[in-house]
Amino acid sequence: MKFRDKLSMCLGNLYKRKVRTLLTTIGVVVGTCAIVITVSLGIGMQMATDQALASMGDLTLITVYGYGISSDQTQLDENFFQTVKENEHVVAAMPSISPEWGSMKITGGNNGRYVYESTINGVFMEDLEAMGYTLREGEWPETFTDDMILMGTNSLYDFYDSKKTTNNYISSWSGKDPFVNLDDRFELMITVPEDSTKKAPTYRVQPIGIMEENYNLQPSSSYSIFISYNAMKEWITEYKRLNGIKVDRNETLKFNSLVVKCDDMNNVAEVEEWIQSFGFDTYSMETIRKPLQDQARQEQLTLGALGAISLLVAAIGITNTMIMSIYERTREIGVMKVLGCKINDIRQVFLMEAAAIGFMGGLFGVLISEGVSFAINHFGSGVTGESWEIVSGMATGSTSVIPWWLVVAALIFATLVGLVSGIGPANRAVKISALTAIKQDS
Amino acid sequence: MAQIEIKDIRKVYRVDTEKIVALNRINLSIEQGEICCIFGTSGSGKSTLLNILAGLEKPSHGSVLIDGHDICKMSEKKLALFRQKNVGFVFQSYNLMSTLTALENVALPLQFRGMDKKKRNKYAMEMLKSVGLKERMKHTPNQMSGGQQQRVGIARAFVARPKIVFADEPTGNLDSKTTKEVMEIMIHLARKHHETLIIVSHDRDIAKYADRIIYIIDGNIKSDEPNESVLKN
Repeated sequence: MKFRDKLSMCLGNLYKRKVRTLLTTIGVVVGTCAIVITVSLGIGMQMATDQALASMGDLTLITVYGYGISSDQTQLDENFFQTVKENEHVVAAMPSISPEWGSMKITGGNNGRYVYESTINGVFMEDLEAMGYTLREGEWPETFTDDMILMGTNSLYDFYDSKKTTNNYISSWSGKDPFVNLDDRFELMITVPEDSTKKAPTYRVQPIGIMEENYNLQPSSSYSIFISYNAMKEWITEYKRLNGIKVDRNETLKFNSLVVKCDDMNNVAEVEEWIQSFGFDTYSMETIRKPLQDQARQEQLTLGALGAISLLVAAIGITNTMIMSIYERTREIGVMKVLGCKINDIRQVFLMEAAAIGFMGGLFGVLISEGVSFAINHFGSGVTGESWEIVSGMATGSTSVIPWWLVVAALIFATLVGLVSGIGPANRAVKISALTAIKQDS
Repeated sequence: MAQIEIKDIRKVYRVDTEKIVALNRINLSIEQGEICCIFGTSGSGKSTLLNILAGLEKPSHGSVLIDGHDICKMSEKKLALFRQKNVGFVFQSYNLMSTLTALENVALPLQFRGMDKKKRNKYAMEMLKSVGLKERMKHTPNQMSGGQQQRVGIARAFVARPKIVFADEPTGNLDSKTTKEVMEIMIHLARKHHETLIIVSHDRDIAKYADRIIYIIDGNIKSDEPNESVLKN
């Protein structure tokens, strides 16, 4: 038999028993709606969770700390930096080195009157933008030079007046301007021992801007001055030389911290675990993201299971309808067999009927779900409750999301449910003996 | 070799512990184009014989060779294909598909063969014309009389030009006038294409249309002889 003939026979059979077909289809519609809507609510929830997480910061960053590492362990240094960069899930990595406390300071203003002795970080200045740092003042230069520095949000307030011994600070929340501004002349000074005859070397540095405060970034964008990694490396060497600190030739410069950016937040856990296996302490949003996501998934599963139950009921309905239909058509099937209809053709017609019920149910189910989804999103605040609205409203402004793949999946799934429900009845149909079938009274 | 060779066919039904012999060592050969009537009272085993010949039932013993192929040894799948290619069937209760029109019913065997719609409707149309139902082609079975329905059944049995047509009490549900019409059409069609027609009946009036009457009593062939009334003509 030609496919078209089988199809028209199948549709004809369904049409002949329209009421029953309709009722069975409604069962599938309800099942599909239940699944699609629950899953769409789950997706809405997931999106809200993801967005809430995203607002917490870059979920793909892992900070590796260089503290508390014994000398026989892997060190957080340039060698390890290379190892990390070779990992396939790592898109960028930024080390940060700091001078020993008190070994360097930055002066600004009139004859270096104002002094900064807080944190100075040697970082890859050109990578800052990619790592998520933004500027409140100034612009990213096209090319970076070693004399550029970048101010933390509150760093200008950390310059104190070296000419005074009291009242020499301006607090950042005082509302007043700091002692220095970006147009001032800034110099980095390496300290020398007090008894030294050598003059403390100074280097002219040029601020390019002030960073926007972002608590999620490491090293801190608030209380730190950034400087070129290479320059800092040289200055640290210089400091050690001037202060007579012996350096083992095999010893490498250790990072304060290393920030690693992963390609996808789903790979963060893997990369983090890998880094921890070297013995380092790490920090990432993973510890917050995972329980949140697990919870969302749990809720999605619960909702999906409810939907699955109703579709199961629909499947039983399809099987029942098909079995009834076979009882009614026993004679017809027998006649078809006697007239030389191939057994596989009979089986296929039955399977197509069951699949068609599933498909139609799926189709209408999806359409109705779209409508319900629309209704939930537009008139839903009363239905879903205010607390939910706060979470979702903040994140997406919608609570039910039906992506295209859900539509496709629902259609395929509903059709498959129909098909599977039809297998038993179809096998039963082909087993009907032609003889007993035609002997049956009409 | 004859078209149909029936060798030593035996059919035994088992009811509880009792054995019922429906057919007892039947031997027959039927030539291509012969019109036979298997004649007997109800319970004589004539229907069982027809079912075995058409491959609807397996004998307990013996073989049925059609054009040299033993249909008793064929699988269900092969039998379906065999029937599709070689056999037409006329039923006592017509067995038309109630949702299909006369034309679609007649075209059904061709549809099972995978013939496309245009072609099969053409053949079906010709068949309907030759049974005199051209005007009824768009009607469904319940819009037709018993005689008309059986004519559709006959058209359906002959449409695929089978080698053999089986008719199981084809006029059992019809009055005598219609019976005559139906029988004449069936005989005419079989003769026209030199097709073998095997009719099962308990009715002497039907038997007299055949070239050869095989009389069965209690599962045995009582007599097997040419029909004298036909010979006289």
